[in-house]
This record gives sequence, C-alpha cells and structure tokens, in this order.
Amino acid sequence: MENDGRRKFLGVCLAGASVAAAAAAAYPVFRYLAPRSDAQGAKKIEFAASDLPEGEAKFFEYAGASAVLVKTSAGAVIALSAVCTHLGCIVQWEKATQDFLCPCHAGRYAPDGTVLSGPPPRPLAKIPFTVADGKILVG
Amino acid sequence: MGLFKRLYDWIDLRIGAREIVKKELTGYLLPRNINEWYSLGSVLLVIFALQVATGMLLMVYYVPDADKAFKSVTFIMNELPYGWLIRLCHAVGSNMMVAVLLLHMLSTMMMKSYKSPRELNWVTGFILLTLVQGISLTGYLLPWSQLSFWATTVATNSAAAIPVAGPYLVEFLRGSKLVGPPTLGRFFAMHVGVIPVIIAGTIAAHLFLLKRTGISTPPFGAKDAAETGAPWQPESYHYQGHPGGIPFFPNYALQDLTSISVYFAVFLAVVFYAPNLLFTPDAFVPANPFQTPAHIKPEWYFLANYQTLKIFPSELLGLSVQAAAMTFLALLPFIDRSPERNPLKRPLFLVCAIGGILLWLGLTIWGHFS
Repeated sequence: MENDGRRKFLGVCLAGASVAAAAAAAYPVFRYLAPRSDAQGAKKIEFAASDLPEGEAKFFEYAGASAVLVKTSAGAVIALSAVCTHLGCIVQWEKATQDFLCPCHAGRYAPDGTVLSGPPPRPLAKIPFTVADGKILVG
Repeated sequence: MGLFKRLYDWIDLRIGAREIVKKELTGYLLPRNINEWYSLGSVLLVIFALQVATGMLLMVYYVPDADKAFKSVTFIMNELPYGWLIRLCHAVGSNMMVAVLLLHMLSTMMMKSYKSPRELNWVTGFILLTLVQGISLTGYLLPWSQLSFWATTVATNSAAAIPVAGPYLVEFLRGSKLVGPPTLGRFFAMHVGVIPVIIAGTIAAHLFLLKRTGISTPPFGAKDAAETGAPWQPESYHYQGHPGGIPFFPNYALQDLTSISVYFAVFLAVVFYAPNLLFTPDAFVPANPFQTPAHIKPEWYFLANYQTLKIFPSELLGLSVQAAAMTFLALLPFIDRSPERNPLKRPLFLVCAIGGILLWLGLTIWGHFS
C-alpha cells in the first residue's frame, strides 16, 4: 500500500514534469509562429490629392489589409476598407456605375460603403483620413 | 483516470490495443544483461524527430534564394521571438545527430552486434550514417554565409579528383561551374525534400530488421537463463527471443528515457551556454563569391576526410583511401566472420578498432589545427 502511494506520487510528479516540459517547448514555438504585432501596425499613409481624379478609386495596403480611397463624381473623398464584409474578398471599383462590386458573390456597395445589394451583412468599414494642403492623410 | 480507462477500453475493443501493448511493450523481452549503449537508437529517433520539427519551423521563414537566404536566417536569429532557439536547436542538433550516430555504431562494433544474422542491420545503419552526412552537408550551405558558401565549394570540389567524370560530377552537384544560386536550389531540395524521406524509409527498414532478427545479447554480463550461447546457424529463419528477460516497458523504456534526458542535458547546455561553439566568425558574414576567407574548413566530422586529402600527394589517392576505408566499414560484417563476440577475446580486432578510432581522432585534430 505504501509502495502504491509512492508509485502514484512519482507518477504524478513525472506527469507534472512532462506537462511543464511540453509547455516550455510549446511557448517558444507559439511565439515564433504568432503574427508579429509591429508588422500589423496602422501607419499613416499620405497621398497627393491630385493623384485621385474624380470618379476614380485608389487601392492601397493599410494596417495589414486592403483599403481604398475613392473620390466620387460629386468630389467627395471617402476612405474604406476594401475587404467585403460577406466572406473577405476584395471589392472592385466599377467606374461606369460608380459603385463597388465584390466579384465573389456579387455584393454591391455604394461609394460610401453602404450595402446596395447581395449577401454582405454590413457596410464596408470606414477608415479615418484628413485632407489638408492638397494632401490626403489616411490613418 | 476513469475517463482514460474508458477511452482505452473503447480503442482496445476496436483495434486490440492491449494485445499490441503486450506483444510490443510489456511482453517484448530483452536480454537481462542489456546495457545503456542499446538506448542510443532511441536517442537518435528523438534527435531525428526534433530535426524534422525544427526544420519545418525554420522553413516557415527561410527563403531559399541566394539574394534573400542570409537575410532570412538573420531575421530568424535576431528578430523573430525564439527564432534563435529554433535555429540553434536545428544547427546543434545536426552535429549531435552525427556524434550520437557515431557512438551508436561504435557500441555496435564493440559489442559485435553486427555479426550474423544482423549484417543487414549494420548495412542499413551505415547507409543512415552516409545519409546523415549528406543531409548535414546540404543543410550547411543554406544560411548562405561565407562559411557555408566556401565550405560547400571545398567539399564539392573534392569530387573533381575522380578520373574522367570528376569535373562534370562537380558541375552536376553544383548545378553550375561554381557554387551559386543553382547550388542553393538543389541543396535545399535535397535537404528538405529528398534526403529526409530516404532517411525515414531507411530508419523504417532498420527497425523492421531489428524486429525480425530480435535484439542481440551483449557479450558482457550475466546471460539469460535460456541463452544457449550457440551461434546462429544460417539454415532457416530464426527470431532471437529472450525468454526470462526484462520487459521493454517499463524497464528498458526508463533506460531510454534516462539516456534521452542525459542527451537533452548536453544538447541544451550547448544551445544555451555555448551557442557559438559550432560557428566561426565567417558564419556571420553573407556569402561573397569573390572573396575566399582564410583557413576555411569543413565541419568537425569531415575534418579527418579533409586532412586525408591534404596528406596524400594526389587527390585521387586520398579519395581512393577514403573510399576503401568506407567500403571496409560498410562490409565489416561480411569480412569479420568469427563467431566470437567478446572484444576482449579478440585482441587483433580490438587493436585494429582502437587503432582506427585513434587514427580518425588524430586526423580530425590535425585537420582542425592544420
């Protein structure tokens, strides 16, 4: 009986040491594979306002994802996430109809990001920006 | 524990797990005088598994492009969290694998476990040694440092001494006249795709042979009560069992675990306390094909070969001597046919074996300091 107790105690110690060793090995592997937070940082991006003609859109990378800057035919500037809220495809700017089309499942968005038709559940996310001295500063 | 038992019962009902455990673990009996040297095979399996795991992790960030390889390795070492740990484990592990493999072969040789009917175990083991040397050589180039670039130049160049086909063979190995981007591409493919698969297959063959012949009885210590001591007669297939021996699990599995723990103590001591033991300053400079560093040398396990090439006046002679020595070692079970397995009763063998080891050590030290 005393032997059984000792055996059980040693077994528990061994199991505990094994779990600790596994955790000590798993933590560096997790940190090694985890996305780097500094690479995902949202850096401010500057464009010359003259680079964006009326009725056109400009796609760029912002905070590790695709974004778009659009100047409507009325002259309004809007910055949006270009990631479709349905299943994450990248929307395209349709110059002729002046709206966004998601090529995956034909979701349509107005230039301000609101859903016009199709499966997207939410509007495109808005990105903050400022316009000053002929420059557009996104972020 | 109730949950584990129920899960075990559930699996057992479907695949007969208890029968496998009894046959392969608790009922797998080993000679009573088995010693710790027999656990080196298990240590090697662990090392190989660790090399595969760390190699896969390195592949996540390593870029096999001559313009980016060095930068990607520097990025892994200096910027990624714990990248240094994974890279050092891989680099130190490759050296450890060669060292433990040599010890495993040495113990097999000293205990004469290669003798009939285990010739094929020895031959597959020898093939594994050459494959491990091959995977180390191909992996050495991948960091694309001055050290790796010029060590590969010297190593591949030695094949040029082979008459007629030599120069073409060198070009074929490199994929170009000199070591360059094509060499990196083919060495990378060999290192991560071809050689590991062949090693895994050869390990499987090695273990299959071990299971079919049965484990050998060491020539030292008290024999099993059931051991007859009569040598195997090559008339019909015979599995060497050890009735009355000790079970593999838990008895010898604990010895395996002890040896693996001792290995990890040494391995991690190098990784944490002497991380630059295996790197010369040239390992931290990107490869420059127009500037050969002074005193470029191969890794420690190729130093004896390197020094042999330097001793002989002709490279062809040096290569031939090495080829003869390797062939002799590969065919040892077919040359040494005496049934006596105790090296103390084989003075000539003992003198030759110790002489060979001292010669190899001497050439290695000479190569290091030359």
